[in-house]
Amino acid sequence: MSMLNKRKRIDFLYQGITYFASSISLIALAMIFYFVWSNGSGLLNLDLITKDYHAQYYNGELDENSPFSTMERPIELDENVFYSEKYGLGVSDGIDREGNPIILVVYVSSDSPLRKMQDRNSEQIISLEEDMLISKVSFNDKATALRTFGAKYMIDELDSAVDFREMVFTSIGGGIRGSIITTLYLIGMTMLVALPIGVFTAIYLNEFAKKNRMTNILRILVDTLSGVPSIIYGLMGLAVFVPLTIRTTSATSGNLISGSLTLAIILLPVIIKSTEESLKVVPDGLRQASLALGANETQTTFKVVLPSSIPGILTASLLGIGRIIGESAALIFAIGTAVKDDISITGKSTSLAVHIWSMMTDEPANIELSSTIAVIILMIVLILNIVVKFISKKLMKPLA
Amino acid sequence: MDKQVFNIMNLDLYYGKFQALKNINLIIEKNKVTALIGPSGCGKSTFLRVLNRMNDLIDDCHISGEVYFHQEDIYREKFDVIDLRTRVGMVFQKPNPFPMNIYDNVAYGPRCQGIKDKDELDKIVDNALKSAALYDEVSNRLKESALSLSGGQQQRLCIARAIAMEPEVILMDEPTSALDPIATLKIEELINDLKEKYTIIIVTHSMQQAARISDNTAFFLTGEIVEMDLTNKIFTTPKNQKTEDYITGRFG
Ligand SMILES: Nc1ncnc2c1ncn2[C@@H]1O[C@H](COP(=O)(O)OP(=O)(O)OP(=O)(O)O)[C@@H](O)[C@H]1O
Ligand SMILES: [Mg+2]
Repeated sequence: MSMLNKRKRIDFLYQGITYFASSISLIALAMIFYFVWSNGSGLLNLDLITKDYHAQYYNGELDENSPFSTMERPIELDENVFYSEKYGLGVSDGIDREGNPIILVVYVSSDSPLRKMQDRNSEQIISLEEDMLISKVSFNDKATALRTFGAKYMIDELDSAVDFREMVFTSIGGGIRGSIITTLYLIGMTMLVALPIGVFTAIYLNEFAKKNRMTNILRILVDTLSGVPSIIYGLMGLAVFVPLTIRTTSATSGNLISGSLTLAIILLPVIIKSTEESLKVVPDGLRQASLALGANETQTTFKVVLPSSIPGILTASLLGIGRIIGESAALIFAIGTAVKDDISITGKSTSLAVHIWSMMTDEPANIELSSTIAVIILMIVLILNIVVKFISKKLMKPLA
Repeated sequence: MDKQVFNIMNLDLYYGKFQALKNINLIIEKNKVTALIGPSGCGKSTFLRVLNRMNDLIDDCHISGEVYFHQEDIYREKFDVIDLRTRVGMVFQKPNPFPMNIYDNVAYGPRCQGIKDKDELDKIVDNALKSAALYDEVSNRLKESALSLSGGQQQRLCIARAIAMEPEVILMDEPTSALDPIATLKIEELINDLKEKYTIIIVTHSMQQAARISDNTAFFLTGEIVEMDLTNKIFTTPKNQKTEDYITGRFG
């Protein structure tokens, strides 16, 4: 009887421990989501991920040839939008992140002369677009309308003046389109290099290699390299891949190619190891069946073993992609930290993670935008996860 | 045509230092079913793997003696193992269909030999499935996964897969031990049909099975062949006391 009781108590204790541990895990993981979401969801919108990071300044003047015509106020415009029929322009008041007043362009008619202004600095044609900010309008015959005077004042002044001398306006900026594109580029280029090399190395190690010194060394390297801090890879990227790409491409500094190559080296051990794991669990019976049918080793490997290990390889890829998205230390060296809007694979730019890093090292640190980027990173990882699961399901269907 | 398919002379086999087969001398006759019986660990599977050189996959396995397949020593240097395995097929104890559809499973061997023509493959697959008495059950689901079949069907698929290579010999290592009595019966009937075209060597733990389906029986004990004779002689008038003990179930 007491034996039974004791067993029950021990049972209860062990189950309690697992229960406790998983509760802590759950809380910790949920807290990350909560922190990121509560800080970052405020800024989350489509503009953020489609817009440039750097604001563009424009100085425009009216083109003398552009004709004026009365443009009626579109009915869908909100009540608090101030509208000029002369310019076909609708603006509203707002405040920026620092709390300063701004004048936001809500509507510009397609016939508006503001769509075809002359750039006072470059003689190019520039266009005022929705979602831009007007800082000021200077007139020939009256005082300048500043943004601090508000939207209504600016519209009144525009309507009452004959024309204006100069309009200063800016695109909003603060978007992370460039960093998203960089991140996607990095994922694509890194996987393109690391996946085939990693998978084939794993195949060699697990299927073909005889036990000799070379394979032993390779295994030890793989095991050791997976534990090396990534900043060391970054140093290697800086010392090897950056000069290499500068010499062989049009690059003049750290660039996407050097970054991808560095990341590829970081991923190699990850991909080799998990591919090997997935090759190991392919039943030996399948290899034997294939060989007994007169298939050679290569046929056996590529027709039977490899297809069976695809889910494992996909998981490896997913781990790899997660690593690419999350990596910052190595990339700071191997690409640099310049946030860019025009992405070229031989130019500088930053991934989302490095973008966060550079914003958090700014004064003052921009926690809100950083958290928003974190939300976006989480969403990208989530989407990739779902996509990979979906693909592996599709691929495994004939095998199930 | 000679009636001896395999002629094994003075065969010793070692796993490292452990001798698993001792001085085996055996002749396998054409178009006969030869049963290999004996207690667990006596070397039946090991012997079977000698005949299609599957022991090559085991690192520290080495042999001495001669194994002739027809007139050819299959352990001589530069012998074409792949060719041997296309002529000596194997069915394993556990059904091990490839994780592909049924058609691709059967077409796997011929494809590996370079046959690509769709009509030819179709014909091979159909014939193999018919020979393995599986055609009626799967003809309308050839594109479904082989793993969706029952255990007995899977094993017959593995037989079909071996037949698709049109081998001369089929080695079977306890092919029914993972199956229920009805599936077992089906395979036994199948073996009876197959013996017209193929030479079959089958390892079995079931005395009844050996008695039902085989023409010749070899009794293995601790790596040696104790007795080898016509099956009905072995089961009615064994010469060796140990054989009698084993087949009557008096054996430890
Ligand atoms: N790969 C191997 N490495 C080392 N020893 C092995 C290996 N395979 C088999 N043996 C040994 O060789 C002996 C014969 O094994 P084998 O598998 O041929 O027996 P068996 O007669 O088929 O037995 P069972 O009826 O249980 O299948 C056994 O003692 C076994 O432990
Ligand atoms: Mg066995």
